[in-house]
Amino acid sequence: MWFIGVDVGGTFTDFHALNTADGRVELHKTPSTPDDPSRAILDGLGALMASAGIKADEIGRLAHGTTVATNTLIQRKGASVAVITTEGFKDLLEIGRQIRPKMYDMKADHPPPLAPRHMRFEVNERIGGKGQEIRPLTEEGINAVVDAVAGVETDACAVCLLFSFLAPDHERRIGAALRERLPDIGISLSSEVQPEFREYERFSTTLLNAYLQPVIGRYMKTLGRRFAEVAPKARLGINQSSGGLMSVERAGDMPIRTALSGPAAGTVGAIHQAALAGRPDVITLDMGGTSADVALIQGNEAGIGYDRNVAGFPIRLPMIDIHTVGAGGGSIAWFDRDGLMKVGPLSAGAEPGPACYGRGGTEPTVSDANLVLGRLPDSLIGGAMRLDVELARQAIQPTADRLGFTVEKTALGILGIVVANMVRAVRSISVERGHDPRDFALMAFGGAGALHAGDVARELEMREIIVPPAPGILCAQGLVVSDLKEDFVATRRLPYDAETLAAVAGDLADLRGRAEAWFAEEGIAMADRSLRIAFDMRYVRQNFELTVPWVEIEGGVEPDMSSLEALRARFYELHERTYGHYTETDPIEIVNIRVAAVGRTAPEQKAIAGEASSSEPSPIGSRAVWFAAEASVETPVYERASLSAGQSVRGPAVVEQLDALTVIHPGDLARVDAHGNLIIEVGA
Amino acid sequence: MTTSRTENIPSPDPVTTEIMSNALQSVVDEAFIALMKSAYSTNIKERHDHSCAIVDRRGKLVTQAYNSIPVHVASVLGQMEALLKKYDLSEIHEGDIFAANDPHEGGGTHLPDVSLAKPVFVDGELLGFVCNIAHHADIGGMSPGSMAGGMSEIYQEGLRIPVIKLFRRGTLDQDLFDILLLNVRVRDERRGDYNAQFAALNLAERRLQDIAAKNSAALVAKVFEEIITRTGRRMADAIAGIPDGVYTFEDVMDDDGREAINVPIKLTATIDGERAIFDFTGTSPQTPGNINIPLHGTKAAVCYCLKAMLDPEIPNNHGVLDAVEVTAPPGTMLSCVAPASVASRAHTSQRIIDVVIGALATPLPEAAVGAANGANSMAVFAGSDPDTGEAYVYLETLGGGFGGRNDRDGKDGVQVHITNTSNLPVEAIEMEYPLLVESYGLIQDSGGAGKYRGGMGLQRVVRPLGHTCIFNGVGERFRNQPWGIFGGKPGASGSFWLMEDDKATRQLAHKPPDMELHPHQAVVVNTPGAGGYGDPAEREPAAVADDRASGKFSEAYMTEHYGPAPKE
Repeated sequence: MWFIGVDVGGTFTDFHALNTADGRVELHKTPSTPDDPSRAILDGLGALMASAGIKADEIGRLAHGTTVATNTLIQRKGASVAVITTEGFKDLLEIGRQIRPKMYDMKADHPPPLAPRHMRFEVNERIGGKGQEIRPLTEEGINAVVDAVAGVETDACAVCLLFSFLAPDHERRIGAALRERLPDIGISLSSEVQPEFREYERFSTTLLNAYLQPVIGRYMKTLGRRFAEVAPKARLGINQSSGGLMSVERAGDMPIRTALSGPAAGTVGAIHQAALAGRPDVITLDMGGTSADVALIQGNEAGIGYDRNVAGFPIRLPMIDIHTVGAGGGSIAWFDRDGLMKVGPLSAGAEPGPACYGRGGTEPTVSDANLVLGRLPDSLIGGAMRLDVELARQAIQPTADRLGFTVEKTALGILGIVVANMVRAVRSISVERGHDPRDFALMAFGGAGALHAGDVARELEMREIIVPPAPGILCAQGLVVSDLKEDFVATRRLPYDAETLAAVAGDLADLRGRAEAWFAEEGIAMADRSLRIAFDMRYVRQNFELTVPWVEIEGGVEPDMSSLEALRARFYELHERTYGHYTETDPIEIVNIRVAAVGRTAPEQKAIAGEASSSEPSPIGSRAVWFAAEASVETPVYERASLSAGQSVRGPAVVEQLDALTVIHPGDLARVDAHGNLIIEVGA
Repeated sequence: MTTSRTENIPSPDPVTTEIMSNALQSVVDEAFIALMKSAYSTNIKERHDHSCAIVDRRGKLVTQAYNSIPVHVASVLGQMEALLKKYDLSEIHEGDIFAANDPHEGGGTHLPDVSLAKPVFVDGELLGFVCNIAHHADIGGMSPGSMAGGMSEIYQEGLRIPVIKLFRRGTLDQDLFDILLLNVRVRDERRGDYNAQFAALNLAERRLQDIAAKNSAALVAKVFEEIITRTGRRMADAIAGIPDGVYTFEDVMDDDGREAINVPIKLTATIDGERAIFDFTGTSPQTPGNINIPLHGTKAAVCYCLKAMLDPEIPNNHGVLDAVEVTAPPGTMLSCVAPASVASRAHTSQRIIDVVIGALATPLPEAAVGAANGANSMAVFAGSDPDTGEAYVYLETLGGGFGGRNDRDGKDGVQVHITNTSNLPVEAIEMEYPLLVESYGLIQDSGGAGKYRGGMGLQRVVRPLGHTCIFNGVGERFRNQPWGIFGGKPGASGSFWLMEDDKATRQLAHKPPDMELHPHQAVVVNTPGAGGYGDPAEREPAAVADDRASGKFSEAYMTEHYGPAPKE
């Protein structure tokens, strides 16, 4: 059987195919088709099947990472959407947290809600803070508000009632009435999208979900149908922001969960490849054309965050904690009003692209700097794309003149600044959260990650860099090794003591019941079922929580309830690491109970790099590379494909492959491990 | 010390300066987060009422953490000025930590803000200082929280700390520390906050020393100078872009902190080439109530405003401050002297900003905005939970309208200018306190009409559940409306109301003191809206139609300001 991952990016659609029987891997890359992303997927899949000799009924699974939801949000191309909310609160989505995005900028505003005020309708009902019904919801009330929604042109409706996470009945009744009356519109209930307290974040997430439902629903249906024709025996999985797959139907209902679909897949791929390399603790650096994503992985697990801003709107959902900075190959160098040089966040993008692409770009970019310094070759993608060093020099020359620098020194300055920006991003996910980056390896991927990893690692005093075998296609690889996943949450605010530990048993049983039902629905065998249970906890009166993992149980085994007492020590430990202190005397409370259900569907892994070799690798050539402004160094160039397990390369060296390039600095030593990773010892 | 290590070193180039200032920014941002995380009190942990900075050996601000509070700039500068006046450089040693909070002697702006500074030495030579400021939830004095209205002398507001040396060469002066802690409520929490401040200083010191070790201290010192010089140049260029002239504006506070009388703030702003002089002569003498502000606090408010109007992205350092001259006669509300009380100076800061915008609206019409809600509208509910018997205090500051702008409407229901604190979710309030929030929304007709209308005020209706609680409110712009600009109409003022059995029955004072609130009653908090920008007659028909469709304005209001609805 073949497991295939397909990651749709802004420029390219990448494929990673794994034969589960013999471990064979086939890669493929095709230009994306933004007007209809499924075209590139199906065309690319056809080409891959033809070139690799994959038959239609040999495909067991296709996993898909998508940016359709994110792009729909950024371009505001979602549906016309109405909101139903509790009487007295229709402005809540507009007020948000009553804060401005920038303290000093009087013209910067958070965007207005995607449902304008005349599309937001109130219904007479109220649930209180203990889940009690303060004002009942009447049939007349339901009819009146459903009439109101029916009276406006709308493709979707978000139902957002206060305290629905404690008592979802009112939302469900309204949802049922809507479905009956308006069967063709998308409907999102806040108690289903994210049943957690803090109304603004829940409502905003629900509204975004409704806004996306019609568009993504159509996309998923089309893709599902056309894919079934190509690969009748395969299951289609859609990657979610929390780093696991869901069914196409689920994705159509919960499109907001795909907001970070692609980057999350990259992190899953990084975890997998780092685990093969025997490195449980890594910081990822995924650098592409316009931005760089960094994430921290500890003990083979990525940190999960719950709050994120997408296209100016807050969403609250479990998501891999990824920090993005506007630093990519296309990032443009410019001078600020005080004369200091900056790089990014403005990017030349794919069109016109950096000056050296010869498509009309004239601004100096990071790629132009890399080309001038000999770090990039004069052609990319195996010769399919020429880079013009003269155009790059011309683009950088005015900047060099202004600085009174040589072009090479200016190019090094551009790299220095873009590296400083990435270093700050890494510090913010490590140092600022109580982790020392020196305890981690740097996993560099994306087209440009390994070009700059040496500089980033040096600045942070990190001693080791890992470059996976196919750094440009790691997201697609992550999709192949992903499991099926579903997150369940219940908000229960209870003091943490012996009595309440018994009181949560009922909630836990309920959550587990829902998880088991989901497993059954997805056809996951008992042995492949895994539940991770965690509690969001805090000190009483704190306004933020820490997610404290409790147990991971396999195959439907009952958890040992007595071990709940261990949560206390784990909470202290986490509080100490996150906030620098803890106290044993202050009372603790539980706020949310979380259950992550994982259905193991990923294939077994095999080493792929073949026979170990102790011979010296031979370079395919050499070129002048600038590591310092004074002089260049004649540097050997190797082909990645020619390096086999056990071989090593001493810097300075450049390693080229189809869609990525690795710079090994003078003083560094790279060797290839059994899984094809390039492990670079910094300053060896 | 007469020689400077920066002599004979060329100015660092724009690339080196950018990379180094990026590293310095990391130092203060990291210290900011470390302080936030290790502090004990909610005020720091969640409302982020703290700041971190690096200053050079002359006491000049080099860089401030990105999320720092604008008014805290004043405390950094004030403290450094007081420190360098009191201590000779020969008396400043590695491991010392200085503390201060007093607005009259220690460079502070109000007592709860405790500023700390630690000198940073490299190879035995002073490179500069790392500083932080934290708003302590209590600093003693006559009322819990040290912020209540009605206080008339600084002595009533809490413990006054001049610049003192709290650590000498790395050793804490326990006797002094014991005095600091004995004079405040909830001593353990305060100790935790102090420890967090010490730790953040030590962290920033270590990081700065690392940078010096990597690059040479001489280069770092030179980069300090370069950053300030470049920012000063950028600010001076921006000021030079303002048409020369003398511009005046006057506005009033609703009360003097005790009595409802108009208290004037008067400004004469002179722009002369690269010079900008803000003279507040003619402003009210300092008031008996605690709305006074020391001159360096006034300067911080003026600088916020210039930065916001001219160049929001300009780095926050001494270059901005050096480019601006601010004067006010000593003994007036904006340059108060001992024993003036100052706790509520935030309201006054908001009004200073309105006045500066009003004055500069003539030369800078595109950067000006209608008057915003101009307040830190505060509502406090306190009592005991009838279920648990536990005491609770729920305090919140509410946003309101932001003024109309030259190319867009003012934002509705938002914190403005120097305040940017988040609201507490309704679901958090009701899970935590025995209170019911009956509604939370925008107030119809509260945004001033205009070509670009002013933002709308917020209304929140709160009722105690099953018990009687105490309500305290502090309002500004409750008697005077936020003005419109260039023909824009004023926004609505704010108000507090008592509601009985679902009917608003009685308007309350604008700073209602401890008031009993029973379960059949509710308090209505109405915050001010904001003024519009430009003549309402010039409002785009599409925008007028949107106003009508949104229901934010009554038909009567629409007809009055924009004419009758077009016939279908």
